Amino acid sequence: MEFLNNVFVAPFQDMAAAPDFFMQVVWEGLVSGVLYALIALGFVLIYKSSRIFNFAQGIMVVFAALTLVGLHEMGVPALLAVPLTLGVMFLLAVAIERVVLRPLVNQPDIILFMATIGITLFLIGFGEMIFGGENKVMITEQLGIPTGSFEFEPFGGFLLIEQKDLTAVVGAGVLVLVLLLFLNRSKMGRAIRALGDDHQAALSVGISLSTIWVLVWFIAGIIALATGIVWGARAGVSFALEVIAYKALPVLMLGGLESVTGAIVGGLAIGVLEKLFEIYWGQPLLGGNTETWFAFVFALIVLLFRPQGLFGEKIIERV
Amino acid sequence: MKTYLKTAMLGAALGLGTMVAMPAANAEDTIYAPNLSYRTGPFAATGIPLMNGQRDYIMMLNERDGGINGVKIEYDECETGYSTEKGVECYEKTKSKAVVTQPWSTGITLQVLPKTNVDKIPILAPGYGFSPMANGKVFQWAFNPPASYWDGASMMLNYVSDGDLDTLKGKKIALLHLDHPFGKEPIPLFEAMADKHGFEFLPIPVGLKEMQNQSAQWLQIRREKPDYVLMWGWGAMNAGAITEAVKTRYPMDQFIGIWWSGHDGDLKTVGDKGKGYKSISWSVPVADAPVMADIKKYVVDPGNSLMEDPADINSVFYQRGILISMILAEGIRGAQEHFDTKNVNAEQLRWGLENLKIDDDRIAELGMTGMIAPFSTSCADHTGHAGGWILEWDGSKFAPASDKLTADADAIAVLEEVKAMEYAEANKPWPINEECNM
Repeated sequence: MEFLNNVFVAPFQDMAAAPDFFMQVVWEGLVSGVLYALIALGFVLIYKSSRIFNFAQGIMVVFAALTLVGLHEMGVPALLAVPLTLGVMFLLAVAIERVVLRPLVNQPDIILFMATIGITLFLIGFGEMIFGGENKVMITEQLGIPTGSFEFEPFGGFLLIEQKDLTAVVGAGVLVLVLLLFLNRSKMGRAIRALGDDHQAALSVGISLSTIWVLVWFIAGIIALATGIVWGARAGVSFALEVIAYKALPVLMLGGLESVTGAIVGGLAIGVLEKLFEIYWGQPLLGGNTETWFAFVFALIVLLFRPQGLFGEKIIERV
Repeated sequence: MKTYLKTAMLGAALGLGTMVAMPAANAEDTIYAPNLSYRTGPFAATGIPLMNGQRDYIMMLNERDGGINGVKIEYDECETGYSTEKGVECYEKTKSKAVVTQPWSTGITLQVLPKTNVDKIPILAPGYGFSPMANGKVFQWAFNPPASYWDGASMMLNYVSDGDLDTLKGKKIALLHLDHPFGKEPIPLFEAMADKHGFEFLPIPVGLKEMQNQSAQWLQIRREKPDYVLMWGWGAMNAGAITEAVKTRYPMDQFIGIWWSGHDGDLKTVGDKGKGYKSISWSVPVADAPVMADIKKYVVDPGNSLMEDPADINSVFYQRGILISMILAEGIRGAQEHFDTKNVNAEQLRWGLENLKIDDDRIAELGMTGMIAPFSTSCADHTGHAGGWILEWDGSKFAPASDKLTADADAIAVLEEVKAMEYAEANKPWPINEECNM
């Protein structure tokens, strides 16, 4: 009886008893969710256009953030370092297309996936050789990102919203909006979606595979830079940022690998739900640290009912 | 093109190899001391300054004194990336000619612990590893001087209670720890102390993937309102925790980390906001110590150090790396003199590490006054249980903020005995050193 009370009653009583704390939990979950969605978007875009599961997305986040900070350390003004970093990410996209992907056209998906593991290992070594492995401080203030906080007193309690988190949420929202407009309204965006729908048909109408691959890897690079700035502002820039990419895996399982909407909704849902579960069920009943597995279990439960994910395409293959 | 690429990659690999390993004059004239280092991966920021300090002290001995008693030390790093699997591979790869293994993670230490009984190679894990390793009768080949994690935990409790642990009765102490063998290491001691002195102990684990996003853990801290938060963090977890502590407005003077959570590089991320944050430490950086002048003269100034920023020479971790190599060097020196041989082997070094006498006079001779507390080891005590100090972050560097602290030796000894015997029982047949009568 006590167990049932702890699972089904006490958590909701706690939420009602301290609504300011509940709001803080939801806000923190939302911020995490936005960040998960950003990483997942990088995976989705590349998968959508080329059926490649990009294992290198995590290290691209590290590489982009390190390049930005490294350029600034070399004396480049922060606002100039951003376009220069984007230039580096563009060159990286071109290099990946030329050196890795082009020679592997028409190879099985698993070969391309393995190639992205190779890209990961190369970027780890290359990045460490150039930037070293030590912690670096993200140039948050130099980029004009506010570092203060807003404090509210809802229900007589205390709610703190950091301005950099708010900037991250707004910035990520704008980035996603621009991306959606680009994908749905621009010629190139439609070409990316066409390639995702049917490679052969897209090629037959003159869409250049190599151009689109460079483009999507570059967009993934832009997303990586945005993710790197936001995460780096929280706890510094180091190779540890790479592990956050794994947080996107359950988001992809939940949202579907091909769906931009799925990445966004999946990211937000997992961000908020894992935080609520950890605070109100995980810590009191399971000793905490449920965030390491909750998202996977949640995604698996969803997959039991929708194997293609919430927004994935139901593919029927006839033989 | 392919040949060119292969040649370039081989060249780069060889170049990197020689940068880290130090030249061996002649295998017969050197003592091979490998280090299972981690200069890459998520914990690299912690590892790099420590490895730099270890390497530079050995290099200084080789340059200044021609090694130890005329025998050069071949310092060689095998990169693990802090991965337990890679660490075990490195152990296997280096063990054939090694006189010591320095596993550099509690996970790797636990894996190689049973192997060293068979291979007869001493483990040197200064300030880390498995705390019951202090019991030399059970762990004949393992050494963790000058202080174990349980020493660290006990010193922290002594500090927050002003030496009277009964004043902690009714208080709540949270342990924010990496969810990893290293982070779980102090839990048995805290639980025992909580039972004995009546305080509430609240462990709060942080997963590897959550190191940089600890909002859930700090929301728990906001809800539970612990009187003190003690931290067993490593690498990126430290900066993540301090950032969240600032955000949560948790009082910095009630937040204390273990010695691996007191890294200048981590605190630079938060800068002034981290003012008042404290860390227990068995080492203190002393800028004008004579040994530092020698390291500067023989290693740093000639451009032979791998330090990126020369200012790091006064950082806590770089100087701790120097002390770690000093402990190894003193073990080798003691073994050379006892066995009247220059090229000591692993079994002889085991004797050297078991008979360390690092007293005030010896510390002064080494040019390290103020950097470490005196300690000695024996066949029964492989830790030495040296004291430590609280270091406080002043916004730009760590500075000592307490008198010397010591651990509650009696309470720790009981637990060490119990846990060591439990380990031996669980891993039997486990050899016990019956010759040790201390």
